[in-house]
Amino acid sequence: MVAMAPGSRRQWWIFLAVLVLVGLGCVDRGKALMTTITHQECVYEEVDYEGDTVSGSFVVIDHGLAWADEPGVELVVTSPIGAKVIGITAKEGEKFEFVAHQRGMYKFCFNNPGPTPETISFYIHVGHIYGLMDLAKDEHLKPLNVNIARVREALAAVSGELIYLKARDRRHRITNESTQRRLISYTVGEYICLIGVSLGQVYLIRKLFDKRLGYNRV
Amino acid sequence: MGGTLALRSCLAVVGLVLLWGCGAQAVQFEVSARTTKCIAEEIQNNVVVIADYKIVHSDESHTITVKVTSPYGNQLHYQENVKSGQFAFTTSETGNFMACFWMLNAPATAVANVALDWKTGVHAKDWASIAKKDKLDGMELELRKLEEAVNSIHSEMLYLREREAEMRNLNELTNSRVAWFGIMSLLVCLGVAGWQLWHLKSFFERKKLL
Repeated sequence: MVAMAPGSRRQWWIFLAVLVLVGLGCVDRGKALMTTITHQECVYEEVDYEGDTVSGSFVVIDHGLAWADEPGVELVVTSPIGAKVIGITAKEGEKFEFVAHQRGMYKFCFNNPGPTPETISFYIHVGHIYGLMDLAKDEHLKPLNVNIARVREALAAVSGELIYLKARDRRHRITNESTQRRLISYTVGEYICLIGVSLGQVYLIRKLFDKRLGYNRV
Repeated sequence: MGGTLALRSCLAVVGLVLLWGCGAQAVQFEVSARTTKCIAEEIQNNVVVIADYKIVHSDESHTITVKVTSPYGNQLHYQENVKSGQFAFTTSETGNFMACFWMLNAPATAVANVALDWKTGVHAKDWASIAKKDKLDGMELELRKLEEAVNSIHSEMLYLREREAEMRNLNELTNSRVAWFGIMSLLVCLGVAGWQLWHLKSFFERKKLL
C-alpha cells in the first residue's frame, strides 16, 4: 500500500514521477523466437537508456543430420555507432550479456558459415533498473519502488535462464529421438542385409556347383 | 480531499497506462524481396497470443504479406500487402506457431524493416482493466504483476520437469534396446550361418559330392 501523506503537492509529483519510472522499467517480455538461418539473419533491438544491461541467449537446434561436424553459428552484436560489442561462436548455444554504453538500435547478427541452413532459438532482453541514481538525489523517492524494479529484473534473469534451458532441452530431445529412430532403422536394415547376403551366398554357391556338375557331366 | 483523490486516481491511471503499454519494444528484422522471413515460437496449449507488426521504415512504399500458422498447419491469420496489422488468438495446440513475412510484386532490391511485437501469456494480459476491476493502485498492481510472473515461471519449470522425465524414459528405452538388438544381432548372425551350413551340406549330399 502506498503510504504517502496526502498533504504536500510536491510529494504527489514525485509519486507521479516514481509511477512513470516504474512503468518504464518493464517486466521481461519473455519470448524465445526461432528462425532459420541460411547465411545470415539480423535482428534489431532498441535500447532506450544508456547503461542498460542487455542479456540473452541463443541455441542451435539440431537437425539430426548424420554429420556431426557442424561449424556452429556465430553471433555478432553491433552497437548503434557501428562498433562490434560481442562476437560469439557456438556449436550448441550460448548465453551472452553486455552493458549498453550507447542508446539506440543494436544489431544482432547470426552468421551460418556452414552449407546447410540452421535453425536457432534466440532470446534478447533489455533490462533497465531506473532510479539507482535518482535515489541518492531525492530523498522523497521511495526505495521500495527501486527494490521492486530490482525484483523484477531478477525475475527477468530467472526467466531468461528458463528460456535457455527450454531451448537446450528441445535440442536434446531432437537428438534423442533421432538416436532412437536411427537405432531401429539401422538394426532392421542390418538384419535384412544379413539375411539377404546369406541367401545370396547360398544361391551363388548352388549355381556354381550346378554349372560345375553340368560341365563334368559333359 | 476530493481534489487529492482525483489527482491520486489520475496518477494511478497514468501509471497503469504506462505499465500496460509496457513491452512496446519490438524485435525488428529485414524482409527483402526474394526471401521469406519466418519467426516461430513454441507455445503451449491454451495461451493467449497478441502480436502486432508494422513496417518501420523502408525506402519506398513497400507492403508485406503475413501468414500465421499453427503447428498442425491451420492458418490463423493472413493479410496481403499491408503496412501494419495485428492479430490475436488463443492456442488450441501445443507446438511451433510460425509467423512468416514476405513481399509480393516488389523489385528485387526492395528491403523493408519490419517490427514485430509478439506477446504471449502473462504479457498479453489487459492489466488496465484488471486494475480497474479489482481497484488496485500502483504498488498493488506491480506486486500482482510480479506474482503472475512468478506463477508463470513456476509452471514453466513444472513443464520442463515433465519433459525431462519423458526424455529420461526415452533414453533408458534406447539403452535397453541397444543391448537387446546387440544380442539379437549376434543370434541372427549365428542362426544364419548355421542355416547356411545345414542347407549347403544337404545340397552337396543330394548331389553326391559329400
